Amino acid sequence: MVRFVLAILMSAAVAVGCTKASDPSPPNMPPQGKPLLIGLVPEQNIFHQLERYEPLAEYLGRKIGVRIELQVLPFYGNLIDNFESLGLDGAFFGSFSYALAHAKLGLEVLARPEDSTGESTYHGVILVRRDSGIRTVRDMKGKRLAFVARATAAGYLFPLIYLHGNGVSRPETYFREVYFTGTHEDMVWDVLNGKTDVGSCKNTVMDRLASADPRVAREILVLDRSSPFPENGLALKKGIEASLKEKIKTTLISMEEDPEGRKVLERFGARRFIETTDSDYEIVLMYARRINLDLSTYKYSNK
Amino acid sequence: MKKKIIVGLSLYAFFFALVGVYIIVSIEKAASKFDNLIKLHQVEILREHLLLNIRGVQSDLTLRDTPYARSISHIVSNAIQMDKLSGRCFQCHHSEEVLSRLNRMRGKMERYKHALSRVITYNANPGRLQSEKDTAFRAGKDLIEDVNTMIALTSRKLTEHTQAALGRIAATKNLLFLLLASGPLLSAGLAYIYIRSMTEPVDILLDATRKLKAGDLDHRVPGLADEFGELGNSINDMAGSLKEQMVKMRRTEQMVVAGELAAGLAHEIKNPLAGIKVAMDVLSREEALSKEDRDVMAKVTDEIKRLEVLMKNFLNFAKPPKPRFAKVNVNDIIRGTMDFYSLGGASLPGKPEGIDISKDLDARIPERVADPLQLQQVLLNLFLNAVEAMPGGGVLAVRTEYDAFSDCVRIEISDSGKGIDEGIMGNIFQPFFTTKPKGTGLGLAICRQLIEQQGGSIKAENNPAGGTVFRIDLPAIRVPGAEEA
Repeated sequence: MVRFVLAILMSAAVAVGCTKASDPSPPNMPPQGKPLLIGLVPEQNIFHQLERYEPLAEYLGRKIGVRIELQVLPFYGNLIDNFESLGLDGAFFGSFSYALAHAKLGLEVLARPEDSTGESTYHGVILVRRDSGIRTVRDMKGKRLAFVARATAAGYLFPLIYLHGNGVSRPETYFREVYFTGTHEDMVWDVLNGKTDVGSCKNTVMDRLASADPRVAREILVLDRSSPFPENGLALKKGIEASLKEKIKTTLISMEEDPEGRKVLERFGARRFIETTDSDYEIVLMYARRINLDLSTYKYSNK
Repeated sequence: MKKKIIVGLSLYAFFFALVGVYIIVSIEKAASKFDNLIKLHQVEILREHLLLNIRGVQSDLTLRDTPYARSISHIVSNAIQMDKLSGRCFQCHHSEEVLSRLNRMRGKMERYKHALSRVITYNANPGRLQSEKDTAFRAGKDLIEDVNTMIALTSRKLTEHTQAALGRIAATKNLLFLLLASGPLLSAGLAYIYIRSMTEPVDILLDATRKLKAGDLDHRVPGLADEFGELGNSINDMAGSLKEQMVKMRRTEQMVVAGELAAGLAHEIKNPLAGIKVAMDVLSREEALSKEDRDVMAKVTDEIKRLEVLMKNFLNFAKPPKPRFAKVNVNDIIRGTMDFYSLGGASLPGKPEGIDISKDLDARIPERVADPLQLQQVLLNLFLNAVEAMPGGGVLAVRTEYDAFSDCVRIEISDSGKGIDEGIMGNIFQPFFTTKPKGTGLGLAICRQLIEQQGGSIKAENNPAGGTVFRIDLPAIRVPGAEEA
């Protein structure tokens, strides 16, 4: 009899689920209807990237009344290649990938984050291990070089210019091995863990990791840093209604005035969003010109 | 008894309240145990679900770069699902040990996700890619082992908890049956105790009343408790009172008989005796009588006088004169009697040599209402008895005192003689009981009769130092028409 009662109770409980798991949904239900699909570049570990952007997407979707879905892409270049095939409506682009997307797809940037120190830009940094003995490009000969991806400013454009500037126009022959880490975060880990001898990434990502792991600052040496590039900003495709675009832009820029928005910004790691225009990407274009890159024909695949 | 009943019923009610509380608590505990078991089952299911998910991600990883590889978004979605499932593990309350295990598992999951991310985003030579893939695979394997260990732990705990819960429930059930069975037993036990505690004293009381009815007035109800004890004491008092009344009645009957006898004797003996006495008196005047005859006749006359005194006493005892009450000072009466005795009354024997008289009279004693002549008669009788008890001399002590508590004037007359045998002490006030060769056995009986007529009492006892003491207690009584002496 006891076993019978136990079985019934357990069946009921399994059907209902764990108490906490079955808590009622929050009052702010996400909007229904066709969602806006926003792509994310693998700036860091793709799971961390999703975790970082999810609260922002949820908040933004609720405020504009359109559900927002995120899609993280494995490579920077995929975002441009597959923008239309994936049905993306927009994306948080890196500075170089936006410049490419703008040139190829005509996307329009709306806003980008500004951090707690008031910085809305990042720098590319050339990294080596302090104990590697590498201090100049000459020391790098025959070593291993890692880029992040061809479509990144800090992880490809800047180190290429750095090498060019130091007389290395063909890294694949100057270095013993050249490969792509795919994310800025993995670039830091690979340099730190000695998987590559030379690397380059965004200083913002490196700083974030350094605050969590003291080895980063202690063991990694920055040989050079680029001019500031605009932080990853949200750009939408041409077909999006102007009113919606404006709504999204206004919501992002004004969310610092909303207590809830401030909490989301804090979790995201920003103080506010600022308006961004194509002119902010002039520095990227200038870097591209320095090595004679034609953005409209540039092959950004990591091959 | 009333208290016992109240206490018993309270205990009874308390017992049932206790049983009720125990039943409620048992049900609560059983429900709580079931709840815990359900939660453990949920945890087990959740962890198995997580394990399946991780295996799915591992499978995705293995199939990568093969014709059967799934899309990146599918892999990412599976990995996110895996992460969410592991997050649910933290939603329930856990012990520190389990929480520590979960945190370890979470750390491994983070490493696995990072390794997966690297596999997905990396673009390098095949050796490097394979190395990343191997790292991710090992991280996944490590995670699976961890989750497997946790599932095994949960299963073991579940089994242990289930067995323990079922064991406790069985024990609780047995205890409940025991308690339920003990209810009627307790009722029967209590009923038996109460019936016994009521019937036993009733039986004892019934037995006592039967014995009293049969005439055994010396029977007493043995010590009973509570209200039965009070009833027993009342019956004992009643028996004592009955016996006292009966003794009085007997004495009254004796008095009646003695009175009738005395009246008869007085009628039948007095006149012949008077004739004999006159005749003897006439005869004794004859001058021709020899001295021997004259002595014989004198002895006969003495015996006749003794018979007259006996008859007088007998009549006095059988039909005592009614007391003539007046307010008296007992000390004055004692002094008067002592003076009378010391001077040697006409019919009293002379004061023997060697008798010292001691008086200790309390001047503060209040006046009493009594017949002064009868009181004097009693005192004189007791003085004479005391003197007779001290043939070789001694101390005749008289003492008075006032007991304010009982409002009694007490007179004590003691001698320093040999005392009275304890065996006959109880009979000395009985009429016709005497230890004297020529006694009538009426002296003390008359004394008691007269004292009781004054509303008092008289008792005798031996002094520890020797001799006998007679105590007369005279309470305050109100007699209409009592006058100053």
